[in-house]
Amino acid sequence: MTDRQHVLTSSNVGNVPINATRRKAGRVSAFADGWRRWWPYYVMMAPGILFFLVFHYLPIWETRIAFEQVRIVPPNVWVGLKHFQVLFSSSVFWQVLANTLIISTMKMVFFLPVPIVVALLLNEVRGGSLRKFIQSAIYLPHFLSWVVIAGVFIAALSPADGAVNNLLGMAGIAPRSFMTDTGAIRWVLVFTEIWRSAGWDSLLYLAAIIAIDQQLYDAAEVDGANRWQKIWHVTLPGIIPTIATLFILNAGMFLNADLNQVINLSNDVVRSKIDIVDTYVYRIGLQTGEYSLATAAGLFKAVLGTMMIVVAHFISKRLTGKGVW
Amino acid sequence: MLRKLVLTTSTALALCLGITVPAMADPIKFRIVSKDFGPTNPDDVKHLQRIEEALKAQGTDLDIELVDLPSSGYADKLSVMLLSGDIPDLIYFQGGDAKMVEQGVLEDLGPMIADTTYLKDALWPHNVERLKNYPYLLYVYPVRGPQPVIRKDWLEKTGLKAPETVEDYVTLFKAIKDDDLDGNGVADTYGVTTADNTNELDSIFNQAFGITGTWMKNPAGEWVSARITSQEKDKIAFYASLRAQGLYDPEYITTKFDVKEDKFYTGKAGVIFGSSGEVIDIYGGKMRQVHPGTELVLLAPPKGPGGQGLSAVDVSKESRGFAISTTSEHKAEVMKLLDFMASPQGQMFDRLGFEGQEFTKEGDTYKVTDKIATWYARFMVAANWTPPVVWQSEAAQQSLATIQKDFKPDNTFVWPADYAADLDATENVYRSWVFKFISGAATLDQWDQYVAEWEAAGGTRLNDYARTVLDAKK
Repeated sequence: MTDRQHVLTSSNVGNVPINATRRKAGRVSAFADGWRRWWPYYVMMAPGILFFLVFHYLPIWETRIAFEQVRIVPPNVWVGLKHFQVLFSSSVFWQVLANTLIISTMKMVFFLPVPIVVALLLNEVRGGSLRKFIQSAIYLPHFLSWVVIAGVFIAALSPADGAVNNLLGMAGIAPRSFMTDTGAIRWVLVFTEIWRSAGWDSLLYLAAIIAIDQQLYDAAEVDGANRWQKIWHVTLPGIIPTIATLFILNAGMFLNADLNQVINLSNDVVRSKIDIVDTYVYRIGLQTGEYSLATAAGLFKAVLGTMMIVVAHFISKRLTGKGVW
Repeated sequence: MLRKLVLTTSTALALCLGITVPAMADPIKFRIVSKDFGPTNPDDVKHLQRIEEALKAQGTDLDIELVDLPSSGYADKLSVMLLSGDIPDLIYFQGGDAKMVEQGVLEDLGPMIADTTYLKDALWPHNVERLKNYPYLLYVYPVRGPQPVIRKDWLEKTGLKAPETVEDYVTLFKAIKDDDLDGNGVADTYGVTTADNTNELDSIFNQAFGITGTWMKNPAGEWVSARITSQEKDKIAFYASLRAQGLYDPEYITTKFDVKEDKFYTGKAGVIFGSSGEVIDIYGGKMRQVHPGTELVLLAPPKGPGGQGLSAVDVSKESRGFAISTTSEHKAEVMKLLDFMASPQGQMFDRLGFEGQEFTKEGDTYKVTDKIATWYARFMVAANWTPPVVWQSEAAQQSLATIQKDFKPDNTFVWPADYAADLDATENVYRSWVFKFISGAATLDQWDQYVAEWEAAGGTRLNDYARTVLDAKK
C-alpha cells in the first residue's frame, strides 16, 4: 500500500484530524532530525539559495513595470497591455525577433554537436600531456571577452590582409569581406560562438564520459568491438542523459543570442541582419529610457524561453526517456 | 547664592549657545554623480576638498558627496541608478537625459545661470545656442569636431604644402599611398582612415560639397534632409572615388577608434581625425612613443565647389553635460558650486590641477609638469579664462582656433519621442547605402533607389515634420 492510499484509507474512517496532526508532527520531527544531521550542508547551501532568491526570483516581481508607465519620481502609472500592443505593432520588433530566432536556431543546430564531438575526440587522446595541452588550448578562448574576440576576428577576416582571406587566396578564391557581407555575418556569429565556447562546453561531456563504467568498455572489448563501435555503442549512449539535460537547459536560453557578441561584431551594414531582441531591449531600454517597453520585450522573450524549456522537456522525454523533471 | 550662580551660569551658557548655533550649523549636504570623478580617485577627493574649503571661505559651507559610479558603461549605469529612484542633486549625463526631462526630473537652468556671477560669461557660443533650445544640460567645453592630422615628417617627405582644396587633399592622399612613406617597401598606406563611418570625413568635406546643414532646401524650395540631396550624392561619389583609387581605407566600417589609431601609428594610414585638441595631443604623445621626435600637423578644411569650413555644429541640445534635479533641496547651492567653478579661482583648480603636482610656480611664472597630461577639468573649461601657462601642442591649439573660427550653428532640432523609430530606421538605411556606394557594391546610378528606401523607412515623415519646425522658425 502506498502512502497516498494509506492516507485515503485513514480519512475514510473519520480520524483525519488525528492523522493530520501526527503527520505534521512527523514532518517536523523529520525536518529537525534532518537539520541536526545535515546542518553543515544546509549552511553551505544557504548562500546559493540566497543568490537565486535575490538575483533571480525577487526581480521577477519587478517585471510588473511592463504593465506600467515608469515614473522616475514614483508612483508608476498602470497601463495594462499598452506596451505589448506597441511592441507587437512595431515592424522593428518582429524583425529583431525573426533575427533572434534565425541566429539562435543556427547556433543550436551547428553549435550543439561540436562540444560533444570535441569531448569524444579528447577522450580518445591517449598521451596525458598532449591531452592536457589540447584541453588548455581549447578552453582558453572561453576566458576572452567579446571585445577581444571581435578584434581578433575582424583582423582575421579582413579582405585586405586577413589570415582567412590569405588562405582563400592561396586556393584561388577571391577575397570576401565577411564582416560587411549580410549573407555571411550570421555565420560569423555562429563560428565565433563555436570558437569561444565549444572547448569549455566539452568539459561537461568529458566529465560524463569519464563517469561511464569501465566494465562496459571491457565487455565491449571482449565482444570484439573496435574504437568506433565502442564510441557508438558505449560512450554515446552513456552521455545521452547529459546531452538531453543540456539541450533542455539550452532551450531555455534559446533566445539569448548573446548581446555582447552581437554588439561587438556589428557594424552599420549588417545591423539589420543581426539586430536581436537583446540589442533592441538594450537600445530602447537603457539608451532611450523606454524602460517599460524594454521590459515588455524582455518579458515576452522570457515567456517564450519558458515555453521552449517545456517543449524541449517533453520532446526529450519522448525521444530519450530523460527530462529535467 | 548657589542657586543664583547656577541660574546665571546656565542663562549665560544658553545665550552663548544661542549665538553660536548658527555659526556652527551643519554644512549643506548634496550629492554629485559624474563620469571620471568619483570617491575612489584620491585626486578627485582632494580636488573636491579644496573646492569646499574655497567656497567655505566665501561663506558657503558645503559637504559634497561624490557618488561612486563606474566610468565603464557610465550612461547605462546612471540610467539604472536614476530609475531606481536614487537621484543625486547634480547629475552628469552622457545621453538618456531626454527621458528625464520628459518626466520633469531636470531643472530649467536658464534662469539660474542668468543669476550667476561668473558662469553666465563663461559659456561658449554653442553653449548659449544649445541652452536656448534645451535648457537642462550644461557642458561648458569648447565645441568638439573632428579635424585631420598628419605626421609632420611625412608631409615634408611628400614635398607638398598643406592641402587647401579638395584636389590638394586627393594629391596628398595619393602621395601618402604611392611614396612608401613608412619605408616598408610596399605602397600599402591608405591616405586616410576613419572609424565606424564617414562622419569624420564629413566634418571637413560637407561644406566643401555645399552641405551646409542637416536640413537643406531642395530645388522646389522645400526643406529636406541633406542626406538625400544632390550635394550629398556628389560627396559620396567623391568618397567612392577615393576608395576606388586605394586612398580611403575600405575597411573603415569595421575600424574601431583604437584600430584607427593603431593604423596611424603603424603607418597603415597617413591621415586620421582627432575630435579635440586634447585628443590630438594624445595622438601626438602616442606617435612619439613609436616614432620619437615626431610632431603632428593639423590640416585645414578644404575649399571645394560648395564652400569651405568645418561642418555645421548641432546646437539643438548638449549631447552630454551637467543637470540639476528638480527633486534637489539645494539647487541654489549646487548652482553656487558651478558658478565657483567658472570663476578664476575655480578654473585654476579645475584646469591646472595641483601646485607641485601638475604645475609649479616661481614668482609669476607657471610651468606644467608631465603630470598635466593626465589631468582633466572635472567641471568645465570656461570660454573667458586663459590659463597662465600653455601646454597644448601647436596642432591642438590650432584645432581649437579653427573650430571657433569656423563655428556655424546647424539647423537640426530635438525630435519628439514618436520619431525615434523613424530616425533609427533611416539612419540604418543611410549608413548601409553609403557603404555600398563607397565599397562599389552599389553604383551612384542607384541613388534614386536609395532615396526611395530612405523615404519609405520613415524619411518622408521626418521631412514633413522638419518642414513644420523649420518653416515655423522663419
